[in-house]
Order: sequence, then structure tokens, then C-alpha cells
Amino acid sequence: MQKKKSTTLLTSALLAGGLLLAGSAMAGASPEMLSNTCAGCHGPDGVSAGPSMPSIAGMPAKHLEGMLKEFKDGSRHSTIMVRVAKGYSDEELKTIAEFYSKLKWGDAKTNPNMVEDTKVDPALAKKGKAIADKQCEKCHEEGGVKQDESTPRMAGQWLDYLLIKMADLKDPNFKVPQEKKMKEKVDKLSVDELKATAHFYASQAK
Amino acid sequence: MSQFTRRTFLKLTGGAAAVTASGLYLPSIGRAAAPRVVVVGGGYGGAVAAKYVKKGLPSADVTLIEMNEKYISCPLSNPVLVGHRDMKVQTWGYEGLKKHGINVVIDEVTGIDAAAKKVTTKGGKSFEYDKLVVSPGVELKFGAIEGFSAEAAEKMPHAWKAGPQTLLLKKQLESMTDGDPFIIVAPPNPFRCPPGPYERASLVAHWMKKHKPKSKVIILDAKDAFAKQPLFVSGWKELGLNVEWKKGAEGGKVTKIDVAGMTVTAGDMGDTYKSSCINVIPPQVAGHIAHVGGLVNDKGWCPVNPATCESTLHKDVYVIGDACAIAGLTDKDALPKSGYAANSEAKVAAANIVAALSGKEAGDPSYANTCYSILTPDYGISVAHIGGVSEGKLKITSTAISPPSADLGAGKDTFRKQEAIYAEGWYQSIMADTFA
Ligand SMILES: Cc1cc2nc3c(=O)[nH]c(=O)nc-3n(C[C@H](O)[C@H](O)[C@H](O)COP(=O)(O)OP(=O)(O)OC[C@H]3O[C@@H](n4cnc5c(N)ncnc54)[C@H](O)[C@@H]3O)c2cc1C
Ligand code: HEC
Ligand code: HEC
Repeated sequence: MQKKKSTTLLTSALLAGGLLLAGSAMAGASPEMLSNTCAGCHGPDGVSAGPSMPSIAGMPAKHLEGMLKEFKDGSRHSTIMVRVAKGYSDEELKTIAEFYSKLKWGDAKTNPNMVEDTKVDPALAKKGKAIADKQCEKCHEEGGVKQDESTPRMAGQWLDYLLIKMADLKDPNFKVPQEKKMKEKVDKLSVDELKATAHFYASQAK
Repeated sequence: MSQFTRRTFLKLTGGAAAVTASGLYLPSIGRAAAPRVVVVGGGYGGAVAAKYVKKGLPSADVTLIEMNEKYISCPLSNPVLVGHRDMKVQTWGYEGLKKHGINVVIDEVTGIDAAAKKVTTKGGKSFEYDKLVVSPGVELKFGAIEGFSAEAAEKMPHAWKAGPQTLLLKKQLESMTDGDPFIIVAPPNPFRCPPGPYERASLVAHWMKKHKPKSKVIILDAKDAFAKQPLFVSGWKELGLNVEWKKGAEGGKVTKIDVAGMTVTAGDMGDTYKSSCINVIPPQVAGHIAHVGGLVNDKGWCPVNPATCESTLHKDVYVIGDACAIAGLTDKDALPKSGYAANSEAKVAAANIVAALSGKEAGDPSYANTCYSILTPDYGISVAHIGGVSEGKLKITSTAISPPSADLGAGKDTFRKQEAIYAEGWYQSIMADTFA
């Protein structure tokens, strides 16, 4: 109830903040043309230079498209993606999702573009591994390397992004779509425990 | 016949001549087979244009001419003023671009001959081109305010081109008399980084709380409104930042500057403000070389076809970034003069250049811009623009600023903090896109 109200408010706030129209001025734009504009935030070819922007390259197209549409309709919390996604038609978002799904994932740890190393705390990563092995591995297999059409990869994602994401999962002010079975686990963990899993996943490469 | 010519040509010149298959690019006898693309200026616009032309057409001979050995980023230079960041993390080099096979020349372009398709440099070199990209940024109009000049800026810094000016203003802030106001003279539209002066005001006011508790910030503005205004104004209130904004219509317009007396005079009543620290951001036009090359309109900016970023004044010359007139229009279908917009325009120009040189269709353009502003290290706001072209004109399909605090309810602090964190991420990614 509470949650629903805050998203409605959020959406109307965005509408009030400026003009929002469905995109159609880019009908004849190539997939590269549409997608390369994202690189200013998500890095060249969708591999972020960190420390907080997520890498998006190589994620399954369905999952990317789903996220972009949820950003657009406000059902997934975002600070800025709602305003980005609203500039594109659903068709354009699908094209962009397909484009990024074909690019190669790049781990934060081995990213040639990164300026600062990810600030993974080894002690927290160890604590996080113990939790993840028990609570999360069932779906986020191989230490978060696994990804499929609905489960996102977490291994090798930038730490600051994972920390935000983990905190979002428990924040009653933000709406983040969660698998029912996952939510049951998340509900039982503290924000600090979830943040420890962020350190673990960020430390994983490959 | 054409079959035979094509095959022979391919055999003679190898892969580089593949572009001739379409018949669109035909190198004349006696010059290199690869199409030559020259880029003037290696900042947020030029460096990206060079990289994406090379990426799209590896056979092209791409030369980037930049007058400085190192590039110092304006974005996130306001945090440098208040000691939140170091100049080192603002400074970038051209090694990455060289690794992509781009010919980087450190020299100043002093002439553009659009008829002869040639640029000349201070160092006495000349470069012929098939396609030219011009991204020189802005020129500060020092003479536009009575009493101001390049020399005067050594006493009242602009810090609107990052580098020594940034460090000079930082030093002046640190040594200013506690109790004096920090005065920002804000320029009229259009200018580089519309939210920049107000971000600067916020960060300095935040810093003053601890370091100059008796001081405040006064913005003397030539304008009656500014970018992200509702968010800045409510942010100042929420954060207890002592910022006074005087709009142009109510005495904000500065008419005279006296460097010797450290005063500025503003408004119809000729009110005089005195301080030991005054930041004058003068009015702006397209970078000097754009004027030399005959690429500007009567307002001092470069008109381009928004579908391609090609100059409407000279064929085969593309103008992008702050200098370009599609950035900084004041109507709603415009992009601001920002680093992100420059990056986006660079990709539109590059795609069109690659297409033209390889005889392909470039398709429609797609533009994006976002600008983060930091009010305090835990409080960020942003604006986003997405757009394309409709009936030959720039068409913005989505633009909005971050939601107002009232609508964020209990999630407000986290939301603002997330945007401050993402601002740093934006910077690293766009710099990787530009220089890596
Ligand atoms: C304080 C401040 C904060 C800002 N913050 C942001 C922000 O957060 N986000 C954002 O998107 N934008 C921001 N901007 C705006 C951003 O800096 C500019 O919009 C951007 O740099 C424009 O890119 P450009 O390529 O047009 O020009 P520049 O980046 O200035 O590059 C021009 C280059 O051309 C070179 N050059 C010029 N003339 C010649 C010549 N004749 N021969 C050879 N080389 C030449 C110059 O040396 C320079 O390296 C900010 C600006 C300021 C001042
Ligand atoms: C201004 C910077 C910016 C731009 C431009 C931008 N993004 Fe994002 N993106 C973000 C941020 C920040 C997030 C985290 C969610 C939020 O707060 O908005 C994000 C999240 C995402 C995610 C979710 C990643 C995950 O695993 O959770 C995807 C997918 C994505 N963006 C795709 C895109 C695409 C595609 C584009 C171009 C059309 C784009 N973004 C343009 C900043 C940006
Ligand atoms: C029942 C399977 C399942 C379990 C168990 C599970 N997850 Fe998930 N998780 C998912 C799926 C599916 C998604 C994608 C949901 C979506 O985006 O709509 C997801 C998404 C996430 C995301 C968002 C990632 C992103 O980039 O957007 C985080 C963070 C996350 N899970 C953390 C965890 C943690 C931590 C645990 C263990 C405490 C856990 N999950 C357990 C299935 C699961």
C-alpha cells in the first residue's frame, strides 16, 4: 500500500518536472546510434569504468529489455533511468537491449578503463560468501556468475552499484521487483548482511 | 568496366580502398588512399569524434589536433575548488587515443580553409582533409563587461576553463576575508554548463559553513531564471546554504568591474559590491578558431544541420560541442552546452562521416544529455535530455530534472545521495569513452 503510493507520487513528480513524450524522432536510427548514447554513463561498449555506474554489456536481451521497460513505467526504482527510458519507444528499447546483449561483459576487477580499484573489503567479502552460499546460490549460481533470461549476473559488477542495489532491496521508499522466494530470504537479512554479499559478488571475476 | 576498376584498385591498395566499392569516395591520384579526417580540439567533443570515426572506419586516416598536451576536465572541477577532489583526477592524456591508431598532434590550429579543405597550425604544419570536425569549446568574451579583461581574470578568476584558473580561485577562496561575500558574476544565455555557476555557489556555501562561517555567496546574474532552478533553490533551503541570488531584472546584471578596487557594479541603481573574492564568468561565444574558419552566425555560434552536425555554412565541416548552435538554444527542443551533449553530438557527426566516406546511409541521429550537479558530497541532482530530429529540427523526446524533495518523501536523502554517488560514476565512464 505504502509502496504503491510512493511510486505514483514519484511518477507524477517526474511528469511535473518536464515534458515527457513517447519517442518517435529516432525512428530511422541504427542500433549503434541509439545505443552509443548510453556509453557516457555505462562506459564504452557498456562496460562501466566504475565505481558506481553498472556495467550492462552481455546481459541477456530479455532481462535488459525488461529492466528498461520497468524503469520507463516506474515499477523499478531509479534515480535517472526513468527519465532516460521515457525518451525511447518500446521498440527502440528492445533494439537497444538486443545491442547490449551482444556485447561482451567486462569484470570491474579486470577493467582496463578503471581508474580506482574496486574497494572490496576482504573480511566483508568472506562474510558475504558464507551468506550468499546459503541464501542466494540457489538462483545466483557460481558465485553470481550465472545469468539467464530472468536472473541477472552479479559477479564482477561494480561494488558501489551493488551496495546501492542491496540497500534498495530493503528500502520501503523504493520499489524494486523481487522474486517472491528471493524476497523471503532478503527479508530475513539485515542491510549490513546484504552489503557483505555485495562485497563478495564484487570480488568475483569471470 | 567498373568491376575491373574496382578489383584492380582493391588489389593495389588493399583494405583501405574498400570504401571505393561504393564509388562514393574516390581518392585522387597522388594522395593516400585512406580518407582523411581531421579533428580540431581534443575535449569532450573532439576526442570522442576522433575515436568513433576510427572505430567505425579503421581504414580512415584520423588526425586529432589539440593545443594542450594534457586535457583538464571542467566537469567536477567545482569540487576541486573546495578541496573535495584533486586536480590529478581531472587531468587526462592522449595515449589512449594514440593506441587506437589516431594521429595526435599537439599544436594550435590557426587557420581553416574550407574551400581548399585544409587546416594550418601555429607550428607551421598544414593538414588536408576530406572531412573536418571542429570542437574548440568556448571563447570567453572578456571585453563584454566594462573593466574586465584577460589580465583582470588574474585577480577575479573565471575558472570557466579548468586548470590554473581553478587553482587560482581555490587559493583566493582559502585566503578571502571571513565575512566578505563570495561573489559569482553569472553570464547570460547561452553559455557552457548552464547549472555550473549554481553548483559552484552550493559547494562554496557548504564549504563556508566550516571555513568562512561569517561569509555567504551572492550570485549576480544577467538572467532571470537558471537551469534546475527549483531544485537548487529548495536544496539551498534544506541544506542551510547561505546563497543569495539576484536576478537580472532585480539588480543582478553587472555593468562594471573595478579590479583595482575589487568591486563590481550591478543593476539600474548602480549598486556596488566589494569583496576579497570575486568570480567573474564572462559571456561566451564559440571557440576562436570557429570564427577564423567562418563557421559562426551573427550570434557567435556555429549553425549546423541537427541531423548530421554538419555546418550549414561550409560543406564537409562538422561542428560539435559548446561551439555548436544546437547546444544552448533556450527553447525546449535544445541540448545544453555540456560535456555529455558534446559526446553525443560527436557520435552523430562520426556516424555521418563514416557513412559518407563508406557510401552507406547514416540513418537518423539520436541524442542524449545528462548533467549532474553536486550541492554537497551527499546531495546530487540531475537533468536528462533524450532526443532526435523531426522535420529537420532537433526534437527532444524526454527531458526532466530530478523529482522535487516534496515528492520523494522519506526516500529523499537516499535519492539525493545516490545521485551524488552516480555523478562520480558518470565522470569515470564518460572519461573512459573519451580518452581510453
Ligand atoms: C565548472 C564547469 C563544470 C562543468 N560540469 C559539467 C558536468 O558536470 N557535466 C557536463 O556534461 N558538462 C559540464 N561542463 C561543460 C563541459 O566542460 C563542456 O560542455 C565541454 O567541455 C564541451 O566540450 P567541447 O569539446 O565543446 O569543448 P572542450 O572540452 O573545451 O574542448 C575543446 C578543446 O579544443 C582545444 N582547442 C581549442 N581551440 C583550439 C585550436 N585552435 N587548436 C587546437 N586545439 C584547440 C582546447 O584546448 C580544448 O582541449 C562544465 C563546465 C564547467 C566550466
Ligand atoms: C545519466 C547516466 C545514465 C545514462 C545516460 C544511462 N544510464 Fe542506465 N543507469 C544509470 C543509473 C544511475 C542506473 C541505476 C538506476 C538509477 O538510479 O537510475 C542505471 C541502470 C541501468 C540498468 C540496470 C542495470 C542493472 O543490472 O541493474 C540498465 C539495464 C541500464 N541502466 C541501461 C541503460 C541504457 C540501455 C541506456 C541508454 C539508452 C542508459 N542506461 C543510459 C545511469 C544512466
Ligand atoms: C529464488 C531465486 C533467487 C534467490 C534465492 C535470490 N535471488 Fe536475487 N534475483 C533473482 C532474480 C530472478 C532476480 C531478477 C529480478 C528482476 O530483476 O526482476 C534477482 C535480482 C537480484 C538483485 C538485483 C540485481 C540487479 O542487477 O538488478 C540483487 C541485488 C539480488 N538479486 C541479490 C540477491 C541476494 C543477496 C540473494 C541472497 C540473499 C538473492 N538475490 C537470492 C532470484 C533470486
